[in-house]
Amino acid sequence: MKTLFHVLQFEWKTLKRSRSLGVLLWVFLGAGVYGIYFGKFEIDEQRIRIAEVEEFEKQQFDSLMLRTKLDTTISANTQKYNSATMPSRFGLKGPFVYYVSKDLHPLAGLCLGQIDLFPAYYGFHIQALAKQLGTNELANPMKLLAGNFDLSYVIVFLLPLVIVALFYTVYASEKESGTLSLLRSEPIALGMVLLGKGLPRVLVILGLVTFLLALGFVIHGVSLADHFGLFFRWLWIIYGYSLLWILFMGIVVWLRQGSALSAILGLGGWLIFTVIAPALLNLFVSAQEPLPNRAEMIHAVRNLNDKNWNTPKSFVFDRFYADHPALNQGDTSDFIKWYYASFTLLDKEANRLKGTFEAQVKQRNELLEKWKWLAPAAWVHEKLSRTCGTDRRGHMAFLQEVHAFHEDLKSLYYPKIFNEQRFTMEDLKKLEERITL
Amino acid sequence: MLKLIIKKECLTALRDVRLQVSAVILLILMTTAVLVGKEGQKLIQEEREEAQAAMYDQWLDQGNKHPHSAAHFGQFAFKPKPVLSFLDVGLDTYTGVSIFLEAHKQNEVLFSGAQDSNGMSRFGELTVALVFQVFLPLLIVFLAFNVFTKEREDGTLKLVHAQGLPMRKLLMGKVWGTYLMVLLIYLPIVLLAYLMLDQQSANLDPGITTKFIALVVLYAVYFLVFVLFCVLVSSFAKSSGFSLLTLLGLWIVSCVILPKATTNLADKVYPTPSQFEFRKTIKDKVKNGIDGHNPSDVRLAALKQQVLDEYGASTIEELPVNWSGIAMQAGEEYTDQVYDQEFSRIEEIFKRQNKLSEWVAFVNPYLAARHLSMALAGTDFHHHVAFARAAENYRRFFVKKMNKDMELNHKPGVAYSDYNVGREFWGSIAPFDYQLPSTATILSVQWRNIAALVFWLVILLSIAYTYARKIPKL
Repeated sequence: MKTLFHVLQFEWKTLKRSRSLGVLLWVFLGAGVYGIYFGKFEIDEQRIRIAEVEEFEKQQFDSLMLRTKLDTTISANTQKYNSATMPSRFGLKGPFVYYVSKDLHPLAGLCLGQIDLFPAYYGFHIQALAKQLGTNELANPMKLLAGNFDLSYVIVFLLPLVIVALFYTVYASEKESGTLSLLRSEPIALGMVLLGKGLPRVLVILGLVTFLLALGFVIHGVSLADHFGLFFRWLWIIYGYSLLWILFMGIVVWLRQGSALSAILGLGGWLIFTVIAPALLNLFVSAQEPLPNRAEMIHAVRNLNDKNWNTPKSFVFDRFYADHPALNQGDTSDFIKWYYASFTLLDKEANRLKGTFEAQVKQRNELLEKWKWLAPAAWVHEKLSRTCGTDRRGHMAFLQEVHAFHEDLKSLYYPKIFNEQRFTMEDLKKLEERITL
Repeated sequence: MLKLIIKKECLTALRDVRLQVSAVILLILMTTAVLVGKEGQKLIQEEREEAQAAMYDQWLDQGNKHPHSAAHFGQFAFKPKPVLSFLDVGLDTYTGVSIFLEAHKQNEVLFSGAQDSNGMSRFGELTVALVFQVFLPLLIVFLAFNVFTKEREDGTLKLVHAQGLPMRKLLMGKVWGTYLMVLLIYLPIVLLAYLMLDQQSANLDPGITTKFIALVVLYAVYFLVFVLFCVLVSSFAKSSGFSLLTLLGLWIVSCVILPKATTNLADKVYPTPSQFEFRKTIKDKVKNGIDGHNPSDVRLAALKQQVLDEYGASTIEELPVNWSGIAMQAGEEYTDQVYDQEFSRIEEIFKRQNKLSEWVAFVNPYLAARHLSMALAGTDFHHHVAFARAAENYRRFFVKKMNKDMELNHKPGVAYSDYNVGREFWGSIAPFDYQLPSTATILSVQWRNIAALVFWLVILLSIAYTYARKIPKL
């Protein structure tokens, strides 16, 4: 035990004095800090954009509300007054556009995940939602391809390199500097020596990532006390990932090769697990199971739209009233009612098809899921982005929110439209509540 | 003598088990990438061609209706999957694949593969380009890091020098020897890839052979740059270990860290406006003009007066042509102007961002190779823009035809639902046909990247020639 302690102490000193290791660790730390700030920058920009949109929405609503106070005895005001009280005309110019924005997870900036591929907000009006969600945030595809230099990147990609660099000489340096035979003449097992040399390194790695994570929390203004569980969840994933790589390097050391070969093996392992394996998986999956084509889906919705317009109004009304008997006042000729009923049909069809499409996508992505253990780096990245709601699933959940919001709006608009009523002050209050939500 | 040195280098490399293993792994990876990649490209292309044809059939079969209803029914454009994308997928995962073309509105090219995949897609697809750009340079590092240091450490360099062999000759011998080894791995893959170019490929892109040759030359130059660089580092390095560490460090920086950092930086230097801001500007600008469905504007009044004067009529009803058709087309053209203006503003920002990366290619040849490779494979930003443009031009073409027909044939006084045209007229609109840009067009926008590669080659060659004498012999 005493000798082990001795080895530990000596190794600690050597590590501390090694200049090249010092440089490496500082570079890694620098990359980590840069990653944290990069993530913060990106997420702050998202927040600014969301705030901008919400501000605009509020402004539009307020100026629309001014019209409710107009004197309707002056005939020039009628149109404006109608646009603030009649549900089918509600809006400043064209239907009023509502904005729903994503609730960003407090740690989203530490792992941006897929967040840059999707819009953080959607603007839509009461009419067919299906035709309004085909929009993306403006992004240079070069940037999307390059990906984000956030903390998760530093941990998933660069940390293994540091582990390789720290460990490849554990055995080889003793052998190559001739101290191995001296050590072996001591009454201590080689395994003990290697353990004694490995342990300080493990501590350095774990200490480093813990520090970076804590720093990430601080810089992103996330209170550790309030999000203790989250901190531990991250720590748990990162420690697991680090230990996986340490284990891998342990195997390399255990092979007792020279430093050059150990380095090549370590680097080869890094290439295989972080670059080659995910790339190979993607190659096979995209060739074997290409993404389902949306053509069919798009066409079906378009055809229905065409049918709505080019067949007698009863086509829409029959279907609509079957689904919404409460709104049936026996009217089968009114244009406005027909117009709004047709949107509901379109959305219904689009949602049905979207469900089928998503099921196909899910099936394909499950194929990737099945093999993800081959690519631990991608796996860990996915896990981190899931905890931060920045993966595709997070966006799908957001889209569901958008749909729910739209449905909720319809529950305010439609009864009024079909009963040919105006919005009451109470209704307008309800709308305002939804906007300020 | 040069032959002898080259032979010695090749023999040393061929006998090294580590290199044998790495070379075999790389060959397997590349063969897989070529075969599976080509299969995937073919599958996707066939699917898109099918979808494009099916959509056109639906356009023909839409039945009798008003031409403006047909313009709303709209058409689709599917982006062809370039043949050479099996060698380099480039931006294909991140750019949309199809666009809905309809009246009044310029839509976005939607549905990128990345949006439909889980996070794994961010790790990229294994393509030959990835192996060429990232892994082969690594192999070159392992091939060349000790070509000089080992001779120095073993003391053979002194002996060779004492025999009167000029250092320049030795250096170039080592360079060509190493390069020959690289070609040994490179050329079979080139041949295999060439054999995969089938008839389908030639139909899709007539310039395919030229582009392929350009790609082959590009990578041949890229590898030579790396070989020269690594041999030079080895010739001046103090020890093999130092040489290896330096080269590996540089490799990680230039192939892993710098590309990401450069692109992220470019986005900070030239910020991208938000979608909201972009759409709002367009809306505001259109609002101040005329919109086909909103005939109450000043512009519209002026146009009306102009048309009335032209036909010597005093009211719309007296016109021999359909006023709505004229108003709508004028609205389209005004909106087009606004869209053109705004889209080119965004494109300009993206191009500036990309240009920054292109200048950095003078520091990091990896970037030059990456940009050029994407461009030649037909998967870069310029190709995406070219497709979006072609699709938009097609939209303008067929919407204009619909409006023109309405203007001339939909007689005033006839109700909207009473004027219908049919299949024959739909058939007069030829299907959307998009040709990839020619090699000359591609290369002309890529001059910076070409210059960067040539710059590296010239600099390294001149260093090799001028400083060879100063290589330390001990």
